[in-house]
Amino acid sequence: MNDKEKGLIFNIQKFCVHDGPGIRTTVFMKGCPLSCPWCSNPESQNFVPEMMVRDINCRGCGACVQACPRGAITITKTAGRKINREKCDSCLSCVAACLYDSLKQCGKYLTVAKVVNEVLQDKIFYENSGGGVTLSGGEPLSQPAFAKKFLTACKKEGLHTALETSGVGSWTSMESLLPVVDLLLFDIKQLDSDKHRKTTGIKNDLILENLQKAARLGLSELWLRVPLIASFNDSENHIRQIATLGIELGAQKISLLPYHEGGKAKSKQLGKTYSYEQGKAPGENHIRKLKHLIEKEGLAVTVGN
Amino acid sequence: MRAQTLTPENLRKQFVSRAIRNIKRGYADDESGRGMFRSEIRLDLQRSRLMTESYKATEGEAMVLRRAKALANILNKMGIFIRDYERIVGYQTAEPNGIFHPIEQNWKSPQRLANSPAGKTLLDDAGRKELDELCKYWKGKSISDRHQAVLPEDLKKYWTYEGTFLWSQLSELGIPNYEKLFNLGLQGLINEIREKMARLDQKIPADYVEQKDFLTASIISLEAVINFAKRYAVLAKESAVRQKNATRKKILEEIAETCAWVPANPPRTFIEAIQFFYFIHLVRYLEYSTLGIGVRIDYLFGPYYEKDLKEGKITKEETLGILQLLWIKLNELGLVYSPTVSSVYSGVASLQAVTIGGTDEKGRDVTNDLTYLTMEAAKSLKIIEPSIALRVHEGTPDEVYSRATDVIKTGIGYPSLFNDEALIPLYERWGVPKNEAKQYAVSGCVYIEIPGKNVVRRSVGYFVLPKCLWWALHQGVNPKTGEQHGAKTPDPATFKSWEDVLEAYAEQVKFFTSKIETLERINNELLTQYAPRPFYSALLDGCIEQGKDCRRWVYNSLLHHFSQVIGGTNVADAITAIKKIVFEDRKVTLPELITIMDKNWAGREDVRLACLNAPKFGNDDDYADEIARIVQTRGEAAMEEVKDRFGHSHRGDGSAVSATYGLAADTPATPDGRFDREPFADSTLAPAPGRDKKGPTAVLKSCSKISTVNTFNHLLNQKFLPKFLEDDLKPAFLSYLKTWKKLKVPHIQFNVVDRETLLKAKAQPERYSDLIVRVAGFSAYFVDLSSGLQDHIIARTEQTLT
Repeated sequence: MNDKEKGLIFNIQKFCVHDGPGIRTTVFMKGCPLSCPWCSNPESQNFVPEMMVRDINCRGCGACVQACPRGAITITKTAGRKINREKCDSCLSCVAACLYDSLKQCGKYLTVAKVVNEVLQDKIFYENSGGGVTLSGGEPLSQPAFAKKFLTACKKEGLHTALETSGVGSWTSMESLLPVVDLLLFDIKQLDSDKHRKTTGIKNDLILENLQKAARLGLSELWLRVPLIASFNDSENHIRQIATLGIELGAQKISLLPYHEGGKAKSKQLGKTYSYEQGKAPGENHIRKLKHLIEKEGLAVTVGN
Repeated sequence: MRAQTLTPENLRKQFVSRAIRNIKRGYADDESGRGMFRSEIRLDLQRSRLMTESYKATEGEAMVLRRAKALANILNKMGIFIRDYERIVGYQTAEPNGIFHPIEQNWKSPQRLANSPAGKTLLDDAGRKELDELCKYWKGKSISDRHQAVLPEDLKKYWTYEGTFLWSQLSELGIPNYEKLFNLGLQGLINEIREKMARLDQKIPADYVEQKDFLTASIISLEAVINFAKRYAVLAKESAVRQKNATRKKILEEIAETCAWVPANPPRTFIEAIQFFYFIHLVRYLEYSTLGIGVRIDYLFGPYYEKDLKEGKITKEETLGILQLLWIKLNELGLVYSPTVSSVYSGVASLQAVTIGGTDEKGRDVTNDLTYLTMEAAKSLKIIEPSIALRVHEGTPDEVYSRATDVIKTGIGYPSLFNDEALIPLYERWGVPKNEAKQYAVSGCVYIEIPGKNVVRRSVGYFVLPKCLWWALHQGVNPKTGEQHGAKTPDPATFKSWEDVLEAYAEQVKFFTSKIETLERINNELLTQYAPRPFYSALLDGCIEQGKDCRRWVYNSLLHHFSQVIGGTNVADAITAIKKIVFEDRKVTLPELITIMDKNWAGREDVRLACLNAPKFGNDDDYADEIARIVQTRGEAAMEEVKDRFGHSHRGDGSAVSATYGLAADTPATPDGRFDREPFADSTLAPAPGRDKKGPTAVLKSCSKISTVNTFNHLLNQKFLPKFLEDDLKPAFLSYLKTWKKLKVPHIQFNVVDRETLLKAKAQPERYSDLIVRVAGFSAYFVDLSSGLQDHIIARTEQTLT
C-alpha cells in the first residue's frame, strides 16, 4: 500500500471527553488549509511529517549530527545544538538516531486497518459511556478518501462516529462523509467574511455554505464549536448571531473553546514562529455571560477543553 | 439525644495522629532525625508494666491462662478516662496521646527507638529507665528472642533483611464474628463456653487439660472485658453526678447505661452496637498487636440504625455525628513499629479499613443509609484512617458510584473500590465456599478476610520480586562476596530465550519463599506456644466448639498467610526488554547486558535507553502485556508451591505498602532500564511511572490482562486531576469506573491532586500539614513521608484528559 492510501495522522488520543459524547478516541489528521494564528496544534498544519525538537531532552551526544545527510545539524559547546531548518528536507534520519526523545517525528502514514484497530482497543469504554471515535485534524476533509474508508470501517464496527471539521473542503468530500458521521462538530470562527479572511487567510463563504448544506441534509447531529478569542469573535452580538444560526440549522449544542497558549511551545519545537503573542482568552465573567446568552437562546453550551 | 456539638474541624483537633514517618529506607537512614512520631506522642508503658507484673505472678501456669490473666490484669488496672466531647469511650493507653508496644513480642526495637534521635520524644528519662527495667524481664523470653534462639544455623542469614524479603513479626489480621457477638453478648458467649466445658467434663478426651485451660482462659478474658466496660460505666456515672451542663450530663448518663449493658449483653440500639464493637476492637489490639478492622459497617450496624430510626430514637444527622466520633476513636489507635519496618509502613497508623457495600451471602446488595453516611463521615473529617473499602458488584446502585466519586474527589484517597466480579472467583480458587466468599471484607490495604472465620492471617513480610530476577541473572551468587545466597540457577550465558530467564526467576521466587515461609513457620510455632489468643479465639467460629486456640488449627480454606509482593511490573518490563533487546534485536548478549547493568549502566546509556524504550506494561500493547501476564502468573505459581505448616500455599498479596520505595533501595539496576536504588512501580498492577503513555483507558486494559484468579488480590493506584471527577466530566469518570468493573480488574483507588500542590507541599510542609495522599492501600499525610518517598508519589503518572 502506498502512502496515498494511508492517512497522515499525527496523534491518536484515547480517553477524550470533549470531542463528542462519552469517552472517545480522537484521531488527528495532519494538514490543514487554514492557518489560524491561535492554532493550539500547530503540528497539525503541514501536510507532511515533521520533526519536533525538544531541546530539554538533548544530551549533546551528536548522534543526530552524524545521521543528518544534509549537514543541517551542528552542536557546539557554546551554542548547543542548532538545526538549520532551511537545509532540512524532513528525511527524519535524525529522529531515528535520537535515543533521548529529543527529536520526534510528528505525523505518520497509517493504514485504515491500523488506526481502526487502535480505536477498537477502547470499545468497551465507548459502550459504557456512550462514546465513540472522533476524526479531527488538521482538516479531515483534506484527506477525504482515508476519512471515508476509516469512518465507514468504524460504523461497521458499531462505533459512534464524530467528524470535526473547519468546513474548508469541497462539498463533494463532505457529502461523501456525512452518511457515516453520527455527529458533526463544525467549527465557526467568525461570521463576518472579511474579518475571517483578515485573520485566517480565507473568506468564510465556503465554510458557511458547507455548514448550511450539511445541516439541510440532516444526516448527522450538529454541534457548533467556537474558539473564543478576545476582541476577535467574543462580542455578545457575534455570539448571539452564532446561536441564532445554530438554532436555524437545528444544532443541538455550542461548545465554547476559550483560547489557550497550547500552540506556543509546540511552534517553537517545530521551528516556527508563533505569531499570536497578542492572543487572549476572554475573562471568566465574560465567558459566563456568553454561556448564559446562548442558553437563553435555547441551546446547550459547554465551555472549555 | 442531641447530636455532638463539635464540628468536624474541632473533632479533628481532638487527636494527634499516630502515623509514623519513614525514618529508614531498607537499612539506610531516611531522614531519621525527623522523629518517627509526632512530638506529642508518648510511649505508654502501662500495658507492658501490667503484663510484666502478671507474667511474674503466674510463672509455672499454662501459657494460655497466663495470657488471659495478663490481659485481665491490664483491663482491670489500666488508667481510664472519658474526654469531654466523647460519646463512644475507651482508650488503649492511660493518656490521650499514648501508644503502646507489645513488649512480649519484641523489646529490643522499642528500647533502641526510645534511645535514638528518631524516638527520643517518646519517653522521658524516668520512662526510659522503667522501660529498661521491663526489658530486663523479657530478655530471652520475648517471641523475637526465642525466634532467634531456635533458628537453624543456615536460616540465620535470612532472618536479617538483605534486600530480597523483609520478614515481619507484626501484622496479624482477622475479623471477629460480630454478628454472633451482637446476638449473644459476651455473657451469652461465656455461657456457651460453660456448656462446652460441661460436655467436656462428661467425655474427658485425650487433650482434656489443654481444652479446659483454653476455655477457662477465654472466660477469664471475656469477663475482664465486661469488667473493663463496667469500669467506664462507673466512671461515667460519677462524672454525670458532678456534671453541671445538662446536655453533657445526659450524654454521660447514656455512656454509663451503655457500658453497663454492652458488651455483656446484646446491643439494643445503634449507639450500643457501636460501643460494643469498639470495646472488642480495642481489646483485640491490646491482647495481641494486630492491624486493620474489616467490619462491614452498613451490613453489620444497618439493622440497629434502622430500628432506632423507625422508633424515632435517632436521626440521620445524629448517626453521622456518631460515626464521626467513631472515626476519631479509630485514629487514637497506633503501634510502635521497628525503624526498619517504617521503611514499608511510611505514614501508616494502624492500617485500618472498614468495608461498605457488596452483598450478603445470597448475593443481595447490602446498600443502606449507613453506606452513604459512612462516606459522608469520611468526607466531612478528611483524615487518613479508617480507609473505606467499597465493594462493588453487578447490583451496586449508581448512586453509590456517584457518592463515592464525590468523596474520592476530596483527595483523601478513598473509598478504594473492590471488584466482586474479579475477587470472588479468586476466593473460590482459594477454597472459600461461594456463600462465604460473598461476605468478604477488607480489613486494611487490600487484606481480604471472611468475617468470623478462623483465619488468623499474617502478613509474613515484604517480598521483592525484582531482586529475585536479579539473583536469577547472577545464578543466586552475590557478585560482591561470591556467596551462594539464592538458588543455584543456570548460567545466563546458556539462556536461549526469555522463557529461560522466566524459569530461573521462578526458581528464585520459590527459593526465597521457602526461606521466608520457614522463618514464619517457626515463628508461628512460637506464637502458638507462647502467645495464644484466648480472647480473640472466642470471637471466631469454631474455636470454642473445638476447645482450641485459633493458632492451633485453621479454617479450612486456602485464605491464609501471604507475603506482600512488590515490583512485579518491573520484572515483567525487564523480561520484556530482555526478549526485545537480547533475543530479537540482538543489540547485546545477555551476559553483556548483565555486565552493563551491574555497573549501573555507566557509559552505556544507549543500552539503558534501549531497555527503557522496549515495550512497557500499561499501554494496552499485547507484546508487553502478554509477558506481564505470564510473569505474574508464573511468579505466583512458584510462590504457591511453598506450603505452610497446615499444608496451605504461601501466597502473594497486592498491598505493596510503601515497600515499592523503601525496599527498592536494596535492589541494584534491573533490565527494565531501572537504576540502582530507583523505586519500583507502585502497587502491584500499576505501570512503571511515566512509562504508561496511552492514558488511563490503556492502563485498565493492560491490567485486565493480568488474571486475578491465577494470581492474587492486586492493588492499582491511579492519579487524576480533581476537575475530572466533577461537573460535566463526572459522568465520564463514572463510566470509566463501570468499565473498570466490567474489565474485572480487582481493585482501584485514586490520588486526586495536582502535581503543583504536591510540589508546593514538599517545599512548604508547614502549610500543608493536612494534605493527604494515597500511598498504597492506605492514605497518609504527605508531610510524614521522607523527601524521596514524596518524589516517588509525585512521579506517578498523572492521567490527563483531552
